[in-house]
Amino acid sequence: MTVLRRLPAYLAIWAWVAFTVAAILWVVMSAFKSKREVLRSGLKPPAELRWENFETAWNVGRLGEFFSYSVVIVCLSVLLILVVSTPAAYVLSRAKFRGHEALTNLFVIGMGIPIPMLFIPIFGILAWLRLSDSLTGLTIVFVAISIPFTVYLLTGFFASLPSELEAASLLDGCSDFQTFRYVMLPMAMPGVATAAILNFIWLWNEYQLSLVILNSPENRTLPLGLYSLQNAMQYTSDWPGLFAGVTIVIIPTILVYAILSEKMISGMTMGAVK
Amino acid sequence: MIGRRLIGLFVTPALAVYLCFFLIPTGFTFYFSLFEWSGFGSDARFIGLDNYRRLWNDPTFWLSFRNTLTLLFVGGFFVFFLAFLYTILINSGIWGKKLFRLVFFLPNVVSVVALSAMWAYIYNPRYGLLNTSLKAVGLDEAGRTLWTSPDNIFWAMLAALVWVFTGFFLILLLAGVDKIPPDMYEAADLEGASLWHKFWYITVPMIWDVMTISFVIWIINAVKMFEFPFAFGFLQVPQQLYTLGIYLYIMGFGQRDPIYQLGYATAIGVVMLVLAFSLIVLVRRLMRRDQLEF
Repeated sequence: MTVLRRLPAYLAIWAWVAFTVAAILWVVMSAFKSKREVLRSGLKPPAELRWENFETAWNVGRLGEFFSYSVVIVCLSVLLILVVSTPAAYVLSRAKFRGHEALTNLFVIGMGIPIPMLFIPIFGILAWLRLSDSLTGLTIVFVAISIPFTVYLLTGFFASLPSELEAASLLDGCSDFQTFRYVMLPMAMPGVATAAILNFIWLWNEYQLSLVILNSPENRTLPLGLYSLQNAMQYTSDWPGLFAGVTIVIIPTILVYAILSEKMISGMTMGAVK
Repeated sequence: MIGRRLIGLFVTPALAVYLCFFLIPTGFTFYFSLFEWSGFGSDARFIGLDNYRRLWNDPTFWLSFRNTLTLLFVGGFFVFFLAFLYTILINSGIWGKKLFRLVFFLPNVVSVVALSAMWAYIYNPRYGLLNTSLKAVGLDEAGRTLWTSPDNIFWAMLAALVWVFTGFFLILLLAGVDKIPPDMYEAADLEGASLWHKFWYITVPMIWDVMTISFVIWIINAVKMFEFPFAFGFLQVPQQLYTLGIYLYIMGFGQRDPIYQLGYATAIGVVMLVLAFSLIVLVRRLMRRDQLEF
């Protein structure tokens, strides 16, 4: 009886889930097809696995090169974001000083700024610093735009930690730095890990600022490489090659998500749901 | 106690990077928007508010503005309608809640360029997933629709966006609903309340704050929308897909041919910021109410 009553709910949910999974699987499947097959075979799986599509995307489409750039830029950015944001968040959640609230708000404002506003000024500033069209410049910008959310997330996380241990360690004669380093930081590690995952996924997929900052065909992040592959496809009609590229781009984030989704979702919702 | 030295030491690096490469450059936008400036090498000429006057008389700007508002309100309506609907359905005590949550959110971890390639294939008139499926169930007429023709392309893009963002807000709303004490629903069940009554008289008031934050996040995302419609438009983004963010980019950097109207482009940025902040203030005012204690 209850099963029957819940049938419409199941149907509606399964329709959505099936569409999402099917669409992504279909793209991955098409990456293994031949050009003709993609146009003819509709929803059928590939007749044979054509790995050469991946070779084309990786070598001719140069996604291999861009993959390594993306790995380096994104990992370095995430590391730097955490190194600067974690101490700042600790101070904002625990220290008492004048202008505390103003400083917190200053960081929070960044989350409301539409990123396209930054396109022209950041291009100018990087040109002035002789960092235009460079991966270094992009890394700095990645760190800067990620600070507001990361500080916000970690401030909330530090605030949720009990303050007794902190008081005890200060009584034991630890300095304020030691208290942070040996007591609070280890306790905050789950929050720091969540911030790392979220920033990794966002920056891995980021492409609007990359588009503005990187111009030469040599310097590209993975999404930019995929974007130019997609544009080239209009002339070559190489759908399987494009889908091989898509697969290469989406696999790392989907893997991270499959393993760490619980942590990620809890981090996403923590800020919004008090 | 945290000493003054440590406060300075801990806050300064984050603050410096954030100010120098994000907040202050954004502030420059206001200043640049008062200049006619045709390239980073050339001199800028102060023209006061002329860029804004030009915007007022620019039909392409109004098209981008209208598209952004359509995206915000029509897109927002469908995103939240579906997010609420699926929040209720997933929470109606069915099996597999965590799995469903995982799949609904999935598009949000995938690169938007990858998504736009996928949707281009779905909408492909001759061998796309959509038309192939329509023909397979016998809807031959609908199966011949050109989904990316100038008349349809904006709505086709919007449908894909709704698919992405529904999952995002579903996660937030579900997390809010999970915080509601279950005995409230049990009490309602004893009184014989319908699903709709439980939703309207328990769920909505209890997740009011989550809703407010969700609306604010949606406003920010909708006003700054650039990546998905830009990638969806391929090499030469058709004007039907222009949002404020895309028009800003095109005025600043051009597509195939450079344009370099930097002052004019930054004026569009100022419009985006004003639009986002005034809408956020409006929503917060409309949704303000006394704190609910439980």
